[in-house]
Amino acid sequence: MNFPGSGIIKGMAVTARNIVGSYFDRAHAKRLTTEQYPEERPTLAEASRSVPFLVYDGEDPEKGMRCVACKICEKECPPQCIYIVKDSDANGKPILRPKVFNIDISVCMGCQICVEVCPFESIRMDNIYEMSSYDRFAPLVLHKAQLLKSNAYYHGIRPTEATATDARIEAGRIRKEAALKAATAKVAATKAAAAAKAAEENKPSQPEQNA
Amino acid sequence: MHDFLQKIVALPWDQSPQWLFLIPGLLMLLAASAAVCLRNLIHSALCLVLSFICLGVLFMALGAEFVGFVQLLVYVGAVAMLILFAILLTPAGEVAASNNPLKNFRLSSALHAAAGAAITFLVLAGLLTAIFFSPRAAHAVLPAQAAAAPVALIGENLLTHTLLPLLGIAVLLTAALVGAALLAKEDTSL
Amino acid sequence: MNFLALLKDTLFQFLGLFKNLDTLPVEFMRLLREFLVKLGALCGIAVPQWALDLVSSLVIIVAILVTFLILFALMSVFERKLLARAQNRYGPNRVGPCGILQPVADGIKMLTKEDLVPRAADKVVHYLAPIVMVAPALMLPVILPYGRDMVAVDLPVGILFFFALSAGAELAVFMAGWASNNKYSILGAMRAIAQMISYELPLVTSALVVALVAGSLSPAALVAAQGGYSFGFLPRWFVCTPWGFAACLLFYIGALSESNRCPFDLPEGESEIIAGHLTEYSGFKYAIFFMAEYVGMFAINGLLVTLFLGGYQAPFPFLEWIPGWCWFFAKLWAVALSMVWVRTTLPRFRIDQMMLFAWKFMLPMSFVALLAAAAWYYAGQGLAGWVLSALIVVVPYLLLGTFCFTRHHSATNRRYLYSE
Repeated sequence: MNFPGSGIIKGMAVTARNIVGSYFDRAHAKRLTTEQYPEERPTLAEASRSVPFLVYDGEDPEKGMRCVACKICEKECPPQCIYIVKDSDANGKPILRPKVFNIDISVCMGCQICVEVCPFESIRMDNIYEMSSYDRFAPLVLHKAQLLKSNAYYHGIRPTEATATDARIEAGRIRKEAALKAATAKVAATKAAAAAKAAEENKPSQPEQNA
Repeated sequence: MHDFLQKIVALPWDQSPQWLFLIPGLLMLLAASAAVCLRNLIHSALCLVLSFICLGVLFMALGAEFVGFVQLLVYVGAVAMLILFAILLTPAGEVAASNNPLKNFRLSSALHAAAGAAITFLVLAGLLTAIFFSPRAAHAVLPAQAAAAPVALIGENLLTHTLLPLLGIAVLLTAALVGAALLAKEDTSL
Repeated sequence: MNFLALLKDTLFQFLGLFKNLDTLPVEFMRLLREFLVKLGALCGIAVPQWALDLVSSLVIIVAILVTFLILFALMSVFERKLLARAQNRYGPNRVGPCGILQPVADGIKMLTKEDLVPRAADKVVHYLAPIVMVAPALMLPVILPYGRDMVAVDLPVGILFFFALSAGAELAVFMAGWASNNKYSILGAMRAIAQMISYELPLVTSALVVALVAGSLSPAALVAAQGGYSFGFLPRWFVCTPWGFAACLLFYIGALSESNRCPFDLPEGESEIIAGHLTEYSGFKYAIFFMAEYVGMFAINGLLVTLFLGGYQAPFPFLEWIPGWCWFFAKLWAVALSMVWVRTTLPRFRIDQMMLFAWKFMLPMSFVALLAAAAWYYAGQGLAGWVLSALIVVVPYLLLGTFCFTRHHSATNRRYLYSE
């Protein structure tokens, strides 16, 4: 039946079905695809990133911190948003940890270069996005205490990457131990050889002195 | 319940208060003179519209509601729109210099003013004489039956007594419509 | 009798009014006048008639304005929610329960926006345009019969009053467009006026169809002429007749066009011409235009309900216990929601399609409806009249509909003007 105006009537039937269906449709749970924001947060992909954070192992942030203040990330950061000051002990001798580690997240562009160059797997990208503040400057500079987050948190946001990182660290540790063992063994062997050689050299000199 | 506000609208002639004539009348005169004197063409067109509205109010005050509303509907709704469209679509300023046929008659401004004043005086004198000395001024009451069913009476009169003028106007309007359509038609001879 | 006794007596009488909901508003006004007279008598003054009239008029005016403004507010929310649901999304649902308080938020936003007037705009006309738009729009609901004996002003030429005031809206659109000194505004305003004038003719003619049959231009008389039930239970509304149905559809389409609603919202489509004649208006002036448009839409829907859908008459005798003014507003709301339904379904017309539709389809169809109504009336309203008027309506509709809109763009018909 195709009289003039039938198209409009068919269209209005479709719309009416849609209006009623959007209230009563039990079959399609995701028919209304709106995510009601503050109540429902979006599920982010694993690789989504926003600003960096520092990883610490174990329970104590200060003791378990992986960062050794080598300042490579500060040098490599394109907008230069990282500021590091090395720590020193009571005598003034520098130790391998940062005293000050600030990142200005209003400058950070999320390029992940600091992550790529860090030799100690200590700086990683976070995926937080609810960072608004009432001031444009001071609250947007994150200090060391705000940046330190545990390895467990890292596993929470990026499981595959964290597992791979842990495996890499573990492998590195094993390699270092093996190297250390080999080195100590080598040193012990060298020392034993030197001692034996010294003992051998010392023995002939002794009877010459006695005769 | 409907008689409260009814009293303001649809008053017969002999019961209208004076202010219902004075205010629209004065406003109409002001608007009409503004329409003539204002520089900006659109402003003068809008003042003309105001005078149309005041005329409609005057019709309603006289008890002729039908004519009053038709005045609003036709004059303000259609004629005023056409005037405004015409003003908008003709470029202003281009008309003045070139096509003025009187540009060689350069009279002095004093003479201009005197001529204007004389014409105004003559027109006003004629109008006032017609208003105050016409024989109809004594009979200022409408026949009683007019208040009863004005619309039906108008319809009956249109289609019986004044049928020939009605048909004549219809032919005239059709001719105007055809002419306008012809003028606006695309030129297909390219 | 002292003041407290008077108050108690009036209160009891007021509570007694609730026995008959249909006449509640009329009796309330009568009670108010009596209360004022008695109060005056208590204080020793004889209340003059003009004071009583003034107070009653003020109460009626405030009631009508408040009703229409509440309708406007509710409509803006429900329209957005219905549009959203048809598009598989939620509408506004943050502000109140189900977003009911959204108009409050919108009002606050509009009121606190900066009122920008372009430097080269014509200040006087720019300022006057919203006023000229809203004043006639607010005067429109005064002639509608909301219930039995519930007309604020019973004009014998009520329908003409309505259309005369719509002319004011056209003038306002022109003033808004021209005063903005923006060529897109002027263009939008001219298109808007062309649309409103073109659709006014079929609108007035379809209203005249009803006036022809009922013999009067007064809305109260038109509703009274639709009273009673044929065969004991079918309503005698004019929409139930073939010519009435055609005229109702034409009036409905004309109403959509006069209020610049989709599919005729070319003047205000955002993707077309920014906001057309409203481009240079912000804040409160824009809110005034918006309100005038919606109040005008409700007023013209009210006229449609009065002319064709029986006004305050109930559809079936067993539903007559629901008061007349409830029926009026229920029907008004139904027509308004159907306009929203049409908005969700149809895309926007182009200006030439709009003009073609008005002059080549709707105007001939409105004359056909006039002819059908005359045939029905003079054939004695028996079966012959019904069949004849149905034929007179349907055959030209099918013919016009088939041949008016199919344009055969075959290769031989195309004229290439500049291809040489």
